[in-house]
Amino acid sequence: MGKILFNTDNTKHKPEATPNQEFKTGFRSDRDLLKKRSEKYVKLFSSLDQKALTDVQGWKELMEAVQEEFGTAELASLPLGIVGKCFLGEQYEVHILDLSGSQIIKHFKIAEAMPMDFEKARALAMHNSYAFIEVYTDKLVLIREDGSTTKL
Amino acid sequence: MPEVSYADLSAIEGALSTINHNIATVNSNVGVLSDVQQAMAYKQDAMDAELRQLMEAFAAFVALDAKHKNLQLAETRVGNLRQELQIKFGYYAEIRRMATGILQGVDTGVVGNETIKSTTEEVMIKAPGYWLAPALVSLASWIRDDKAICDKALTESLKRDDYKSTLFFMLLTRRLGRNDASLTWLERYFMHQNPQDLDREFITVLEAVTTGVFHPAARTVMMKHVKTWLNQLTQGDRFINEQKNQWMKYFEASKPALQDGKYPLLKQHAKNWPVLENSLRETKTHEVLQNHFNSIISSSFDFSASVKVKLDQILTQLVTNFDDEELPLQRQVRLNQLVIEKEGDKDAAQAVMDAEETIFKEKVDFLQMLTNAAFNPEAAGVTKVTQALAVSISQPWIIEAHDTFTAQSRNKFPQTVELVIDAFATATKNGSDEKEQVSKQESFYASELQKELATIAFPTAGVVIGALIGVAGFIFGWIGGLITLAIGGVMIWNNINNVNKKKEQVKKTFEERKKKAKEVLRGCLAETVDYRKELASEDSKAENVRQLLNSITPQDFSSVSQDTARNII
Repeated sequence: MGKILFNTDNTKHKPEATPNQEFKTGFRSDRDLLKKRSEKYVKLFSSLDQKALTDVQGWKELMEAVQEEFGTAELASLPLGIVGKCFLGEQYEVHILDLSGSQIIKHFKIAEAMPMDFEKARALAMHNSYAFIEVYTDKLVLIREDGSTTKL
Repeated sequence: MPEVSYADLSAIEGALSTINHNIATVNSNVGVLSDVQQAMAYKQDAMDAELRQLMEAFAAFVALDAKHKNLQLAETRVGNLRQELQIKFGYYAEIRRMATGILQGVDTGVVGNETIKSTTEEVMIKAPGYWLAPALVSLASWIRDDKAICDKALTESLKRDDYKSTLFFMLLTRRLGRNDASLTWLERYFMHQNPQDLDREFITVLEAVTTGVFHPAARTVMMKHVKTWLNQLTQGDRFINEQKNQWMKYFEASKPALQDGKYPLLKQHAKNWPVLENSLRETKTHEVLQNHFNSIISSSFDFSASVKVKLDQILTQLVTNFDDEELPLQRQVRLNQLVIEKEGDKDAAQAVMDAEETIFKEKVDFLQMLTNAAFNPEAAGVTKVTQALAVSISQPWIIEAHDTFTAQSRNKFPQTVELVIDAFATATKNGSDEKEQVSKQESFYASELQKELATIAFPTAGVVIGALIGVAGFIFGWIGGLITLAIGGVMIWNNINNVNKKKEQVKKTFEERKKKAKEVLRGCLAETVDYRKELASEDSKAENVRQLLNSITPQDFSSVSQDTARNII
């Protein structure tokens, strides 16, 4: 023992995320990725069923919400898309909002296959505890109604 | 006619029979020889065994001898080392005895100031370099209100070993009920701590502060430091993820076993039963966790008495334990003592020594310390109050871990129950599709029956032979023809009849199989319905656990501990 007082050298915070990780995910850490989502964001993306595909105004609103939520995060760190429960009719199960480029909303029927990246989110998207799922290339982030997040 | 002369072969025959006889003798001799050889082999085996025994006995003797020598050597060494210790650090032991004596004397108030004064100043000269000496001087001068000496001695003591002196005075002033002084020392003690590398006794101090053994203001000091540490440690992912993983492993390990014979048919007929079972077990974990966390945060009991005892133990250890300078020698003494204890077994002694040292050296970061306290308070040496505190501080990442655990478990939920009943394979989502399933099974059996019936060939050969026989008689005229025709007819009828009987038999067996299989299918579907219901209801308990965890407000740390503290003060 016999320590030197006020030696704060090793207690100082050292950034945990290496530059490499930062480059890969665009987030400094999980702390940023898992921050609580805003009420507005959750509400908007929980109600995708009401958005008509041709609704230009609606699109703008969605894109603005995404930008607002993720701030100035790089494009690579944005989710590929969002998978949510679909309430369009009994035969519909889930829908996708593709943010990666095509930027479309697509609704899927029961047993209808979804694109590769999104299929892994299907079972959880249908669970009542989650409002919707953000799909990333290497992970899923589950969003609850209250905006809290879980990484998987 | 030439006379035939017979050669006399009797001699040759005699010789041959002799040879024969001799060969027999040789043979029997060889037999005897092989017996001898066998006997020799037995003897050799016996000798081998004896030799091995001897070797073992010898090896054992050598080992025992080595142990004896080790033991003797260790005994001699312990004596020598103790002597060396006595010469080099003899006064240290005296100071320790004195410190204990003074503490007890101060407690009971039976030792006069003069005695304390004369005895303490002497120790300064006798033990240069030992922090406890000036600490005692400082204590003695404080008792007799000599501020100048007290300050000087205190400075010296802190110079020699800041950490130990701080801990000493913090514990001492607390024991004497000097709140302001103890608070100042506590603050200094906290500043000494590195949240990434905490000392073992820290948890006891933390617990003392939590349970209100220190002045209530101490909690403010603690909270201030703990908040700073948490900020430092939770900046990056590493520390939190480490704890998160441990919590997830803990949740995983809390999985309860399923009640025996709960879903007997699914267990037998569902191909993916292991998945079904695992999912149900995982969801049943939530209730276990709910009870667990409930019992932690709702326990309220005054632990302050036991904490006080523990604090005094630290103080006693502080004044009785060896100083760093003595440690190398003390360590050798300990090792030799262990060799004696283990009756000369050096390896065993070293193993015990290593284990002891790891415990001694064990240091943890703050978050790990919290996790240890939350998982297993007994092993971490803390009470339920500190466990509750640890859980409340760790709450954010416990929730994260639980969320992830729940999501993983939900993601693994089987989408369908895959049944295999008597070669009929089917899958049902939730067991509500009985009609479809039964009709699927019906058509399966219908097609199976067709396949099976198709394998029973029409008795062409029998019919043809019967026909031929029937026709053959006509060679002998009408009467013969009629007779064979009758015979042939009977043969054909017999053949066809046999086949029909066989088909009937097959149909009957199939009917029975179908009946049984249908019952099993219905049973499986009913169990699937129950399974889905139970899975959903157990899964929904995850939300209750979440609510419970969320209700522990990290700001007020532990309501339990504060209540307890209030009760004490």
